[in-house]
Amino acid sequence: MGCSQDSKSEKLIVDSIHGDIHLNKREIDVIDTPSFQRLRHLKQLAMAQMVYPTATHTRFAHSIGALGMMIRILDAAGRNGLDISPEQREQLRLAALLHDIGHYPYSHLMEKLDRVDLSEEIVKETKIVSKAIDKQIIPYPRHEELGSLIVTQRPDLLEALGSPEQAKIVADIFTRSVTADAQLSKLVHSSFDIDRWDYLLRDSHATGVPYGHIDINYLLNNLRASSEKILGFSLKALPAVEHFLLARFFMHRVVYYHKTIFGLEEACRQLLRRLRDRNVDHNGIPLDGEQVKVIAKSDDLHGFTDAFVDNIVQRAVKDEDKVIRVLAKAIQSRKPPKLIKEVPVCEEPGSKHNDGTVFFERCQNGLKSLSEEFDIPLGQFILCKPKIKIMETPREYRAYEITSLNADELRARAHEEEEEQIWIFKDGNKEPDSFWDIEYSLVGKFSKYFFQSYRLYLVYDGDDENKVFDKLRITVKDW
Amino acid sequence: MDRQQIALKLTIDGLELPFKIDTFYDRLILQKAVYLSQAIGINLGYYYQWYLHGPYCPSLTRDEYAVAVELGQDIDESKGWTLDDVSKDRLKNLKNLIPKVEQKKISRKLELLSSIHFLVSRKQIRCSEANEISNTLKKFEKDFTEEEVREAVRELQEYGLLAR
Repeated sequence: MGCSQDSKSEKLIVDSIHGDIHLNKREIDVIDTPSFQRLRHLKQLAMAQMVYPTATHTRFAHSIGALGMMIRILDAAGRNGLDISPEQREQLRLAALLHDIGHYPYSHLMEKLDRVDLSEEIVKETKIVSKAIDKQIIPYPRHEELGSLIVTQRPDLLEALGSPEQAKIVADIFTRSVTADAQLSKLVHSSFDIDRWDYLLRDSHATGVPYGHIDINYLLNNLRASSEKILGFSLKALPAVEHFLLARFFMHRVVYYHKTIFGLEEACRQLLRRLRDRNVDHNGIPLDGEQVKVIAKSDDLHGFTDAFVDNIVQRAVKDEDKVIRVLAKAIQSRKPPKLIKEVPVCEEPGSKHNDGTVFFERCQNGLKSLSEEFDIPLGQFILCKPKIKIMETPREYRAYEITSLNADELRARAHEEEEEQIWIFKDGNKEPDSFWDIEYSLVGKFSKYFFQSYRLYLVYDGDDENKVFDKLRITVKDW
Repeated sequence: MDRQQIALKLTIDGLELPFKIDTFYDRLILQKAVYLSQAIGINLGYYYQWYLHGPYCPSLTRDEYAVAVELGQDIDESKGWTLDDVSKDRLKNLKNLIPKVEQKKISRKLELLSSIHFLVSRKQIRCSEANEISNTLKKFEKDFTEEEVREAVRELQEYGLLAR
């Protein structure tokens, strides 16, 4: 556990991950706003507590932790060559504190409603006319965009931050916008950022799952900065860097994509999308991105918490639509969707066909008949394919490509194309090299691999559950 | 592909552009084409910020790669889907703004159009003064002449992307 000392601090928060976090006056003012206090009512891990009962920590705790993490990084980087002004330091601390201010109820669950596929849309027999995507409707904005709106337009935060100009600078840092210093913004959003460092440690601690326990002290002690404020790690910290990348990968497999947690969250997403996109009685769900923005700008924001979704689910239990009713009951009474079949795949991108894609295609072709054969509505089947890469590399760089570029070209590309770039300072070098340039890195070799789990779930409400699932599993055995 | 990625693929198809991300220019063209599509009222949900080559959206990059990987596996889940008629008409119109020339020239033109639109719509510059725009772009190390800027502004106005 670390400790962030600050002689000018006005208040001290004791955090279970970072120890003492000293806050200055402005940070206290920000935390005391109703807009920030809303984060107390957003669970960090959405429905993970349905499986890991102690995973009830909040976005509030994570946001304070992100500030604690930022203080530790700035201290470490300052000791190792990062030269930034007191103003920039203050702005980065505030950006860390506010980086998640725009999260939706149940976080990514509600944010990604526009990406949810319903079974009727996935199966191939569905008529084309019903598969039109109306792009005149504005999708829900991402939480960073919503956060920027909240920071720059909510009166309580504007007052706490001191001025609209200061609010814009802070928002620009966490959205990595036009005016923000690109390298400093990366401290808030990139492969190695305060967000990931804190959530891996905190989620691990809260769930009791060990995989997110990264070697934070060693990483901090080996943080280096170039003259252009590019942050990286000394070469001897390479194992800790690799461990960090694997930690994120395993936390996805074991917690974020856990079959029961993901199944419940997917059922909830499908429930919300069905309610939102039907013609009547939307149960108060914002119909498009514009309505979400209206909530964010008004006092309705304070009620835009997990309870907002809980109330919708509670009402939906009595809905006239059977599929909506069954989905709502499954969530309310924790009768999670059960897996009929799962096909896990670990592959390099570009491989033509694998067991997962074959299974998915067979589901697309056969799900409608399966639903008819078992007399279960198609909407109670959930077909999904959560995916995680070891590194979210937008582009697969090969060693010869890296070496053919000079440092400036590499940096230019990293700036625009690779949020995920990690820099390593080799012994004696003042300028860093790309992580991919280190040929003996085991994780680097596998960084282009992805893990994807093709899953077919069913939400079933009959009394003959075991019998039905046995029969279904036999039917799809060879899909 | 999820719904947003399917809509992205349909948009690029609607502009009759290949869904290619092999080279830097391919990727730049996709970024700017999607930017202009959104500017014309196709709401794909991508939030752009300013980077070295004008407006850029990191989450679009991730979707581009996800779609391209599936297309590389001969998987095209956009088959059977269609955009609404109004959006299709808008794309049909926007398509005429993209010249049928080599990749590098297309990317240069789309970079200029999207950069001007971004800076004007985010109130960084006024669209009335071509030299002001050109000078602003030079600050971002962009070498576009006043003449190119003037022509780009005229086209953006003609296609309804900027007010006259």
